[in-house]
Amino acid sequence: MSDQITFPDVVNWAVPFFIAAILIELLWIVLKGRGGRYETRDAVTSLILGAGSVASGVLLGFIAYGFFMALWAITPLDLGTSWWVIALCFVLDDLRYYWVHRFGHRIRWVWASHVNHHSSQHYNLTTALRQTWTGTFTFMMVVRAPLILLGFHPALVLFCGGLNLIYQFWIHTEAIGRMPRWFEAVMNTPSHHRVHHGRNPRYLDANYAGVFIIWDKMFGTFVPELDHEKPDYGLVHNLGTFNPIRVVFHEWVGILRDVIQPGLTWRERLMYCVAPPGWSHDASRDTSADIKRKHLAKHPSDRGSPGFTAPE
Amino acid sequence: MPLSILVPLVTVGILGIALLLHLLGLSRPVALSDESAARDAWLSEFPDDAPLRVLLSRNRMAALVETPKGRGVVWPMGADTTARYLTGARITRRAEGLRISLPDYTAPRIDLVLDEAETGVWAAPEEQDA
Repeated sequence: MSDQITFPDVVNWAVPFFIAAILIELLWIVLKGRGGRYETRDAVTSLILGAGSVASGVLLGFIAYGFFMALWAITPLDLGTSWWVIALCFVLDDLRYYWVHRFGHRIRWVWASHVNHHSSQHYNLTTALRQTWTGTFTFMMVVRAPLILLGFHPALVLFCGGLNLIYQFWIHTEAIGRMPRWFEAVMNTPSHHRVHHGRNPRYLDANYAGVFIIWDKMFGTFVPELDHEKPDYGLVHNLGTFNPIRVVFHEWVGILRDVIQPGLTWRERLMYCVAPPGWSHDASRDTSADIKRKHLAKHPSDRGSPGFTAPE
Repeated sequence: MPLSILVPLVTVGILGIALLLHLLGLSRPVALSDESAARDAWLSEFPDDAPLRVLLSRNRMAALVETPKGRGVVWPMGADTTARYLTGARITRRAEGLRISLPDYTAPRIDLVLDEAETGVWAAPEEQDA
């Protein structure tokens, strides 16, 4: 069994491209007067979060990699690294990404890690770099276990994950309207991902795809961007700070404060960790389902339209 | 990529982009055009609690909001806005206006630039909340 396979660390090698693309997008917006917005502190916060995410990968990456190598040691399967294995691994890892991302919006413990990616009220290429520092603590590496056990080498799986992340960089822009129809049908695009970043009730919990939008269409979470409803970016309750430490850790602090409050049952304490974001033991907060229900109560004509088709 | 290249590249990249954005005038905080804009900004955060009264600061950089659920404040977050209730707030006077300290990890401190007369009006009811 091959243990010494190496692939390039593509995310790090893409850093010069990220910087160049941000400068080009900024130039485009300034010259054309459209195609998005930039603000200094917002962008700097995003960039610091991106740098911190790389640093956390360097510091904590050994935990996930150690777990993967332990699985690799016990699996009898080895698919090798031929081109079709790489292609298959890329597609299956994208399916893995879809579910991890969906869990990231539906399980507060995972949301605590992912929330910072949604914490900007802007949507530009710097937003793409607003990545988590705490992904290791979500234990979502277990979702990759089947890939390793099926015989995809850990280095290959991480390589495909890196390519997936790089693909998602360019879709964080308002400078691109819509891609050709065939492309929009299969691939994740700026239009589809703008929906994902929208805090509009219609757009909550939609379009979890990384590279292929087909997963959302298969699993019933696809919502198209509507021309008459521009996404309003950010969180349901937007942050009042640009401090990167507070942005990164605020939901973890929120979980801690909720869990340790007196008078709760153990089940309620657990639910503050694993229930959907917005769950509370006294129903004093709103989940995305509550927000959609309240919206439909005010706007009943939206019932059955995109984003409001799920049964209540 | 070796860290000896990556670290300087990232550092220069962040500093360069920050400087460029600032020189392009993209550091200016948003101003609330009128009370209606302040009201919309509040409703964007708390759609179930419509303001009964909105008091816009003279520099249009903040608004005090009175709602059925209590008082709150709207203020700029860069080019956008956010809002919070003043529950548990500690209000202190500064030379430039007021500092609102909230028991909220996501919005621990709000510095409001208010003139002297305004400071008295804004602080009076809020200090009762403190």
